[in-house]
Amino acid sequence: MHLKYESQLREPLVSGNKTYHQVTEDIIRPIEAKPSRLWYIGFYIAVALLCFGIYSIYRDVTYGIGQWNLNKTIGWGWDITNFVWWVGIGHAGTLISAILLLFRQGWRTGVNRAAEAMTIFAVMCAGQFPIWHMGRVWMAFFVLPYPNTRGPLWVNFNSPLLWDVFAISTYFTVSLLFWYSGLLPDLATVRDRAFTKLRKRLYGIASFGWSGSTKHWQRHESLSLVLAGLSTPLVLSVHTIVSFDFATSVVPGWHTTIFPPYFVAGAIFSGFAMVQTLMVIIRKVFEMEDYITMGHIEAMNKVIVLTGSIVGIAYLTELFMGWYSQNKYEGYTFWYSRAYLFSPYGWSYWGMMACNVLSPQIFWFRKMRRNLFVTFFMSIIVNIGMWFERFVIIVTSLYRDYLPSSWSVYYSPSIWEIGFYAGTFGLFFTCFFLFAKYFPVIAVAEIKYVLKTSGESFKDNMGHIEAENLETFVHEQSHAH
Amino acid sequence: MDQKKHWQSFGELNQSEAYNKDVKDEFKEELPFVAEEGSSFLEAKAPRRDFLKYLGFSTAAAAVAASCEIPVKKAIPFANKPEDVVPGISKYYATTYVQDGDTVSVLAKVRDGRPIKIEGNDLSPLTKGGTSARVQASVLDLYDTARLRFPTIDGSEATFEAIDKAVAAAISGPVVILTSTITSPTTKEAINQLIAKFPGSRHVTYDAVSYTGLLLANEATYGKKAIPSYHFENAKTIVSLGADFLGTWLTPIEFAKQYATGKKLDEKNPEMSKHIHFESVASLTGSNADEKYLHRPSETAAVVLALYHAVNGQEISGIADARLKSGIEKTAKTLLASKGAALVVSGSNDVNVQILVNAINEAVGAGGKTIDWSATVNYRQGIDADFAKLVEDLNAGSVNTLLIHGANPVYTWFDADKVKAGLKKVKTTVSFSSKLDETAELCKFVIPDHHYLESWGDAEPKAGYFSFQQPTIYPLFKTRQWQDSLLKWSGSSSDYLASLKSYWAAKVGGETGWDKALQDGVINPSSVAGLTGASFNSSSVAGAVTALGSAKKGGKIELVLYEKIGIGAGQGASNPWLQELPDPVTRATWDNYVIVSPALARTLLDIDLNNNGQADSYEVNPPKKVVKVTVNGKSLELPALIIPGTQPDTIAIAIGYGRSEKLGKAVVGTGKNAFPFASISGSSVNFTQADVTIVSTGDTYPVALTQTHSRYDTKQGVRTEVMKELTLAEYKKEPTGIRDDREKELKPWGGLEKFEGQGTIYPVYDRPGIKWGMSVDLNTCTGCGACVVACNAENNVSVVGKPEVLRGHEMHWLRIDRYFSGDMDNPNVVFQPMMCQHCDNAPCENVCPVAATNHSSEGLNQMTYNRCIGTRYCANNCPYKVRRFNWADYSGADSFPDNQKGIVNDVVLDMNDDLTRMVLNPDVTVRSRGVIEKCSFCVQRLQESKLKAKRDSRPMVDSDIKVACQQACPTNAINFGNANDKNSSITQTRKENPNRQFYVLEQLHVLPNVTYMAKVRNLEEEKA
Repeated sequence: MHLKYESQLREPLVSGNKTYHQVTEDIIRPIEAKPSRLWYIGFYIAVALLCFGIYSIYRDVTYGIGQWNLNKTIGWGWDITNFVWWVGIGHAGTLISAILLLFRQGWRTGVNRAAEAMTIFAVMCAGQFPIWHMGRVWMAFFVLPYPNTRGPLWVNFNSPLLWDVFAISTYFTVSLLFWYSGLLPDLATVRDRAFTKLRKRLYGIASFGWSGSTKHWQRHESLSLVLAGLSTPLVLSVHTIVSFDFATSVVPGWHTTIFPPYFVAGAIFSGFAMVQTLMVIIRKVFEMEDYITMGHIEAMNKVIVLTGSIVGIAYLTELFMGWYSQNKYEGYTFWYSRAYLFSPYGWSYWGMMACNVLSPQIFWFRKMRRNLFVTFFMSIIVNIGMWFERFVIIVTSLYRDYLPSSWSVYYSPSIWEIGFYAGTFGLFFTCFFLFAKYFPVIAVAEIKYVLKTSGESFKDNMGHIEAENLETFVHEQSHAH
Repeated sequence: MDQKKHWQSFGELNQSEAYNKDVKDEFKEELPFVAEEGSSFLEAKAPRRDFLKYLGFSTAAAAVAASCEIPVKKAIPFANKPEDVVPGISKYYATTYVQDGDTVSVLAKVRDGRPIKIEGNDLSPLTKGGTSARVQASVLDLYDTARLRFPTIDGSEATFEAIDKAVAAAISGPVVILTSTITSPTTKEAINQLIAKFPGSRHVTYDAVSYTGLLLANEATYGKKAIPSYHFENAKTIVSLGADFLGTWLTPIEFAKQYATGKKLDEKNPEMSKHIHFESVASLTGSNADEKYLHRPSETAAVVLALYHAVNGQEISGIADARLKSGIEKTAKTLLASKGAALVVSGSNDVNVQILVNAINEAVGAGGKTIDWSATVNYRQGIDADFAKLVEDLNAGSVNTLLIHGANPVYTWFDADKVKAGLKKVKTTVSFSSKLDETAELCKFVIPDHHYLESWGDAEPKAGYFSFQQPTIYPLFKTRQWQDSLLKWSGSSSDYLASLKSYWAAKVGGETGWDKALQDGVINPSSVAGLTGASFNSSSVAGAVTALGSAKKGGKIELVLYEKIGIGAGQGASNPWLQELPDPVTRATWDNYVIVSPALARTLLDIDLNNNGQADSYEVNPPKKVVKVTVNGKSLELPALIIPGTQPDTIAIAIGYGRSEKLGKAVVGTGKNAFPFASISGSSVNFTQADVTIVSTGDTYPVALTQTHSRYDTKQGVRTEVMKELTLAEYKKEPTGIRDDREKELKPWGGLEKFEGQGTIYPVYDRPGIKWGMSVDLNTCTGCGACVVACNAENNVSVVGKPEVLRGHEMHWLRIDRYFSGDMDNPNVVFQPMMCQHCDNAPCENVCPVAATNHSSEGLNQMTYNRCIGTRYCANNCPYKVRRFNWADYSGADSFPDNQKGIVNDVVLDMNDDLTRMVLNPDVTVRSRGVIEKCSFCVQRLQESKLKAKRDSRPMVDSDIKVACQQACPTNAINFGNANDKNSSITQTRKENPNRQFYVLEQLHVLPNVTYMAKVRNLEEEKA
């Protein structure tokens, strides 16, 4: 039995005196209106970045990975750093949609749509790196295990890179299905409101003939639950497997059993930060303050301070183990290459510490959690910090490993490595701008679902009824609307 | 029965016209394009069905034709197969590497008509099959695109006839023949013929780095202007006063071989020769020394004088440095203690120093024991004073005709301007240089000589020991052996080959003997006489003592000019393999630089290597601070490298750099010429300067180092799993020390015995059959780099050029790591050849997503290039960092032709020229862009040897296999074979050296197949 009443102590999830129609209007309107000037500017910048990225990849494919500044000692640099970073970002969406759905967290409704879209785009961006970092990308299909004519050759199931292939492709597929199935009712709404033939046709196709019948709703609910169930382990598995890329190796600084939980926590941390970045912008640009309330922002900030502290503990554990194990190679990596500020990459470690561990502690204060500017600023800081974390793990471990003879010269990216990274921003925002333009950025149906229980005016109303007369309240409560 | 006929239709019954037509056309279709006349293609019978076919085909054809510019590959089959050439089967021809005075008996491996690899000739008792980096690299010079392709008069092409005519007309009166040292008896004869034809002619021998001091000292003390044979193998005590005898001094291959016999440690009876080294700048030989003392270059005289006095039991004076002084005293004691088994050599070019060295050698009984005067060596014969006189003559205009072979004084003489001016005054100048070097450029006639692999010839490196040259390939260009020119111009009727043959046929017993000599490549004395000394004339000693006693004191900073192993006096400068060979001590490629000591770096460069931050920033940033060195008004700006083991007030610059760009792409932008800093004093050129100024300019210049960090100790612990070194005293006291350490390290996993099984949770499998293994003796490895170049040549390892080395992209499959330990002002140095360890539990193998690298049943970690997709995970996960990635198309194997212009250096493009590519080994795949490569244990050789044994129906034996690095090694430090074979030398070596043996990073349980034997220094102290 769904609870009709929510405690007055809980903040309303939708502010303002909204009706169902108003909800539809508020959220679908931007899709039907001409995009604003800001949208165009943003979109073109994103496309320009994307083109730069495509050209960078073109150079890397045509002339070789030597276009990047990697070397005999540092085989992975910005490429895999960016890969892990984007995969991490791609974690929040599914976490919000799946795990929070299972935990019946009503507040997820305001942010899940955009978060899921972000997930999908982030995973798309992440996927670029392992593909284009290959020396012979035209042979990339070798990683797919399918019966082939290349003799008895088969993929190597021992390799964490192969696990990555499976983990990420599965994650992408399930996330995409989850996101899209959630979109169906809303797409149907857009279709029903369409004012041109083309729109009607396209949204008609996209909504798979959704008619809003009870049967449809019932199946939709079941599917959501099933997909949520499927996604939940994926949230944990993807980054666990990404962490295996490092944890199963022999490189000091990578060869660490703490990696799976540490990576998952870090991923959620960075994912929520990215959601914050986007939400703060969306609620402003699309005037969605009523649906993405300060309550939402605060809830996510709480997750950020929690996961930030978890990674902080992970960092300290690593440092402790670097000393406690008395392993001179690990000791060197953790205590010299990383924690010693004046070592060549010491700055990146302390940059990471400052961004990921120290600065999120500000969110212990409610005032800060509910401050939009602080939230936005911190979300950027956290994402920078999480980028540093991956950079620290990859580069500071590799550049000085076992044989001192092979210690590397200073690695900094070439313009084409930066270009590739910029290009994925281009891809991400191009997709996101198109998404914001053509799809409802907030799940209309799900907002309506919580509106009567958690909408501000409805809550107020129930509050009044309760205060006035208990009998009426009980009646209202059990009354089926 | 009547023939009833059944009909199927009325048409058939009536045989109607329509029916007949149908029957006729039943299976016939009209050709699609042959429609009715005048109608279009689309109206043809079956256009619909075929249209797509044609569309598809034509699109594909157009795409293929338009987009893929398929390079034309020329392969011309033999019309008539030559009888003795079997495609795919190598032939080996004995010949002789001759460059200036250096003479090494070698075998040239010829595949399908082209020489592709040089191996040492085992029949030579001098080098015993050893080679050096330069010998290994010499095959590449054959295919050098910068070689002169035809003779020229005043720079324009001419025929040999025209040149002969012009030269004949031009030669009038005495001729001067200027050459570097010539060891060939027949060439000398040809020169003499020319001299006889033009009376008054003379032959001047000029060596860029001469041994004048040694030659003249020997003349003064022994009455012979010659160099005796040295026998380091007989010496228990070796004292070198700055002679780099393992690297560049005289004949390092022979010396290294001899030296290694004294350094080889028998574990049961641990005795070693003791090598005490005095020098100013860290050299390869000094790095190998047991004890090393540093002094200023200007103190050389004082040191030798002090040693002379000490050996003769007198008081030492004039040595201020306490450590040096006690070192000299100790050295004298050690020398005297091993009287009759001691040897002192000096690299000085000062006659007086060498006279005293001779006196010291007499005092310690070296003559007849470690110095043999019965067979003198001919490697260097030039006297600097002779050349100095020639320069005067040239300028005086008294030389009419000058023929130049080998010598390149415009580059190598310190006063090049004077040589240039002199050359202008000579009417007829002829150069026989095979490249347009600095001197040839100024010559009227240039008649390029053959490469030695195209030549006939002989050589006598040591009296009584002969070595022969025979062509291994038809001359690639319009070149002519210079001896032919000499003979022609002297009016001889026979050419050089005929005279060579007749000369030798007479000596070795006709045609058969000659053939055998060519086949063996060497003729050795039939019986080796005992070593003999020579009578010592001490009359010059007193004079030398006085002269050295009054030697000038040095200024604040002193300069040493030195030769690099690969580059020499510039002979190797145009060879990309040698340019990319890291200098063993500095580990730098493609440049020369100023070597400064850590102490000087603190004051001059403001870099303190003991300060972590400063040391790091010096290491990780390739741009090094530039300093300006000024000597007598001449100055050079070069980057400064800090090399521990250099005397604090001494700096050093390598000669051989800054050459004319006409010598090839490899010399472009590589270093600066330091020859002008030399000077002449007395009769010899002096390669040190006692007073120079050095200032930091504030600029930086990138230096391509292949190793940036040099110590294996860190604050978090000494990485003893990487390198193990100890002193002889420690070893004697506790022979199993290293083994005990290993035991202790592996104790958590069951100790040494059970480590393989208990170090893993996976099952352990048997490894029956062949199991390839390698063992490297760090005691005999001198770090010379011959193996590195041999590996390049054997395995088609790409040259990447300086910009790529700077980015850490070098491709060497085998490198020699160099570590310093102890006091950074005078550190211990140890070299460690590092190649793929072919781990049995290889970390690279299980991380490859596509199984491109996997394990063979013979224990090889094999790399499947066409399976590799280039994720580089294997390289990251290799603890030895031996995997190399093709960051760009270094080999020209890419399917996009010519897309690397501007991406890689011109040197690399030049290496992919059709001519240069002739050096490639057809047995080894040329790797394309985007794949990982690494040492394969020369799998092509293993395969060949297995097949050979199989063909002969016998088990494979050790002598079947020699991997390239092992074969090139002059000291036999590398041992290779089947570790499962009880009789193989690798098994024996491992069994005989249980105590010194270790695996690098053994604790990782990667189970490497390469064992190293710890470096033992012959020191009495227990702490190295």
